[in-house]
Amino acid sequence: MRKSKQKSLFTFICVAPSVILFTIFMLIPTINIFWMSLLKWGGLSANKKFVGLSNFIKLFSDLNFIRSLQNTLFLIVIVTLVTISFALVFAAILTREKLKGQNILRIVFYIPNILSVVVISAIFSAVYDPSNGLLNTIVGLFQPENWKTIKFLGNPDIVVYSIAGAMIWQAIGYYMVMYMASMSSISIHLYEAADLEGASKIKQFFDITLPLIWTNIRTTLTFFVISSINLSFLFVKVMTTGGPDGASETVLSYLYKQAYDNASYGYGMAIGAVVFVVSFLLSAVINHVTKRDVIQF
Amino acid sequence: MKKINLYKVFVYVALFSLFISIIIPVAWVFMASIKENAEFYTSPWNLPKGFYFQNFINAFEKAKMGEYFLNSVILTGLSLIILLVVSVPAAYVLARYEFKFKKLINILYMAGLFINVNYIVVPIFLMLLNWDNILYKYLNVEFFLNNIFVLAIIYAATGIPFTIYLLQSYFKTISKSYEDAACIDGCDYFQTMIKIMIPLAKPSIITVILFNFLAFWNEYIIALTMLPNSNKTLPVGVVNLYQASRGKAEYGMLYAGLVIVMLPTLILYILVQRKLTEGMTVGGIKD
Amino acid sequence: MTKLFKLLFVGLLLFVSVACAKKEETTTTTTTTEEQKVLKVAGLNGGYGDAGWKAVAAAFEEQTGVKVELTLEKNIAETLRPVLTSGKDVPDVIYLSVGAEGKLTDTMIAEKQIADISDLLSTTIPGESGTVGAKIIPGFTDALTSSPYQDGKLYLAPINYSPCGLFYNAGLFEEKGWTVPTTWDEMWELGDKAKAEGIALFTYPTTGYFDAFFSALLNETAGPEVYARLMNYDATAWELPEVKKAFEIVGKLATYTEENTVSNANKDGFTKNQQLILENKALFVPNGTWLPGEMKDAPREKGFKWGFMALPSVTAGSDRYSTTFVEQVYIPEASANKDVAKQFVAFLYSDKAVELFYKNGGAVLPTTTASSFIEDGSDAKLFYSIYDTGAKANAVGFAAREAIEGVDLTSAEGILYGTVNSVVNGSKTVDDWYNSVIEAVKQYNK
Repeated sequence: MRKSKQKSLFTFICVAPSVILFTIFMLIPTINIFWMSLLKWGGLSANKKFVGLSNFIKLFSDLNFIRSLQNTLFLIVIVTLVTISFALVFAAILTREKLKGQNILRIVFYIPNILSVVVISAIFSAVYDPSNGLLNTIVGLFQPENWKTIKFLGNPDIVVYSIAGAMIWQAIGYYMVMYMASMSSISIHLYEAADLEGASKIKQFFDITLPLIWTNIRTTLTFFVISSINLSFLFVKVMTTGGPDGASETVLSYLYKQAYDNASYGYGMAIGAVVFVVSFLLSAVINHVTKRDVIQF
Repeated sequence: MKKINLYKVFVYVALFSLFISIIIPVAWVFMASIKENAEFYTSPWNLPKGFYFQNFINAFEKAKMGEYFLNSVILTGLSLIILLVVSVPAAYVLARYEFKFKKLINILYMAGLFINVNYIVVPIFLMLLNWDNILYKYLNVEFFLNNIFVLAIIYAATGIPFTIYLLQSYFKTISKSYEDAACIDGCDYFQTMIKIMIPLAKPSIITVILFNFLAFWNEYIIALTMLPNSNKTLPVGVVNLYQASRGKAEYGMLYAGLVIVMLPTLILYILVQRKLTEGMTVGGIKD
Repeated sequence: MTKLFKLLFVGLLLFVSVACAKKEETTTTTTTTEEQKVLKVAGLNGGYGDAGWKAVAAAFEEQTGVKVELTLEKNIAETLRPVLTSGKDVPDVIYLSVGAEGKLTDTMIAEKQIADISDLLSTTIPGESGTVGAKIIPGFTDALTSSPYQDGKLYLAPINYSPCGLFYNAGLFEEKGWTVPTTWDEMWELGDKAKAEGIALFTYPTTGYFDAFFSALLNETAGPEVYARLMNYDATAWELPEVKKAFEIVGKLATYTEENTVSNANKDGFTKNQQLILENKALFVPNGTWLPGEMKDAPREKGFKWGFMALPSVTAGSDRYSTTFVEQVYIPEASANKDVAKQFVAFLYSDKAVELFYKNGGAVLPTTTASSFIEDGSDAKLFYSIYDTGAKANAVGFAAREAIEGVDLTSAEGILYGTVNSVVNGSKTVDDWYNSVIEAVKQYNK
């Protein structure tokens, strides 16, 4: 009896501080977002008007918002797919193969993730520059004289891919290190057995590596959703300011434009509420769809 | 045999291209930081004409980078301490013990992963403002805004969901036999946690420190809002160098500032990178 | 590990005490300065730099004994927003123009947070005998940027005016023997001639610069009376054919625009667009008088010489316009020192301040005496003489309206100006653009 009292005291002391901090600085403000999304408010004065669901009704007929949501979802999908494929392949190679300079590679691949977004945006502006950018110079070598350079940030059909490129470059190393962590705990005997049976490296990758780190991949999918929403905003803010003409707007950059530039704070918070719910639901769906029986050998 | 060689060649080419695509841009930033302002109007890929160290001197003197740097160090350090003190025990207990509301707390933290600081920053600001107003009314002091300590608490709070998520998965991978052994030795709950479990979770704690360091060190929007009058942090200071529409841009100083922001993260990463892989068993294999 | 925790704990205590100590420090400093009157001035460290403000603040301190706390930052719109929301330690005077990045002043106007300073005009300028009203060039205080509610009251004081127009390389025109076009038809001719030599006719830094450009153009095609109605969201005025004419001119100009302009029309790349003029890759760029200073360090072609003109006229002999870009200072409603603040704003128009502003950064105040400080033969003389050589001046800016959620007509990336990027890269037609503007204007009238 004394033991269990002691135990509950222990659990309480350990958990309570985090719950208190979380409630005050995360939970209550989030609830506040939902409250503010029901107001017409410019953000500066005490002049607030309760308008019910009006902000949400406007939101769903706001074509600019819908486009920004599409852009964001598109970025989540393409960044996740490309990054995951590259990260998995590179992680598999670096864990399975004995390569020279492996350690250096591991260090270097992670570097993009620790750079601040301002640095990355500056780098990619120089890479994407239409007249003397790195990419256009390289592509131009294989093109006829009168070839028109690619407008990475100026063409509304390409600009989202350009943002995706920067995001993928930034993310590969991070996820690679994460997959390497779980791949290295797969028993070497499994691969040795497969080698004896004559299975190719590619077959080994799909039959052993992937199933065994499946739970890990699923978890990172949630990270992808969260970080893509956030990073796409930061990149867009510096690289394109949402342009040209809103073609690269993402949900959070649109939130900022409405809340601040357009003096519609309540409306901005309605966008915030939608972003929260959408990202949560999206993760729930992904989580459900990717559910497999955990395979253990 | 030939086939394997081809495969190896492919592997090397792929890895090498990625390597180059990272090294060149990063080197580019360092080079940009020693260029003179006039050089920024020509091709960004030109090599610097000389070693213009004045950029760094300007960044420290004119843009007060030194002062901001100190602020950022204090803030980041403080936030990490608070975060660890609060999160490590909570993660351990959530991973190991059954109690009332555990499910609810886990769901809340899970949902917390999806809260984005970009939109909760104003509600937090208004809340602190309100507290300050109450304090001022009764005690004639203000405490919550313009206080780097309070800002550190907010940082720590925003880091809680992810940190607990990461640590909790790691604690789950640690075998229960360690605690059983401790029980036999007569350790109580606290002693077991502090003396046995936390040292075992060290790799994961290092991972958490690095992740949160990066987040706190580069954080901009909360720092900007919660310290309206007084000290600035490094990222806020750098952005002030950056935003120069309709005015002369100080590119050299900007890149010097960016390098000043970047260096500590690079150094910390290189120091802990070996441990990083060990600690990242997220929702991974239970062994 | 226990050691580590002890260490953490000690560290924590240490930091708490440091944090508290810091706090005390700041409170003591505020109490000591309370005997002396303190005026807080905050503003943008923009195109004119901060030297002028520092000099003027020092002169004001000397003259009145009031201490001026000056905060000038490049991201002032961001740093000031929480301060204004909190309503505490609000600056007494804010220098941030209508339409500036971050749209803070626009929000202040929409939320009616700016103090009425109509009596500023009858205030005597400190150290002089005349009133402010007598010294400001007529017309400036009636503009929508100064009297946004059109109720005959003054809210924002106009300062730092500069003509906006088209900048070009005068040296290139001499070298090629080209004449500077005076009508849009001559402009198109020149455009074709230049194209043959691989030079584009036009570029722009970002779409944000179209506010000045397009206002002047609307004045040319539709005249000042219609323009006034346009700025008041009069939908019937927007539907007039002469208004559409302005859209069509921009549409034609789009086909003459340098191909990389849109790619660089953002925060990271806009100087590259301005650089095109210096490198003879484009002929004209719409901009303000701060441009030469902004590009001071940039390398340029041999024989480069700044040229500056008003917009070409629609037909030969019709009026040419150049937008007068005016900056604003204002006193927030929440300021605790409105009287001293008003003294300070009045002081900005004194001869002493006008001279200091011009000598330290080149800002020209809209006073009757300001032009006497501009030296003959200077770039500034060339720019400011634009109105003496026949161009008419027009103001820029819309009347204040309550924000409409999801409809952003007037910001740099908004419907009216931001869409220019799409017209230039061909993803929207002039009709698409024009119709979406009309649609947006109608929403303001509901």
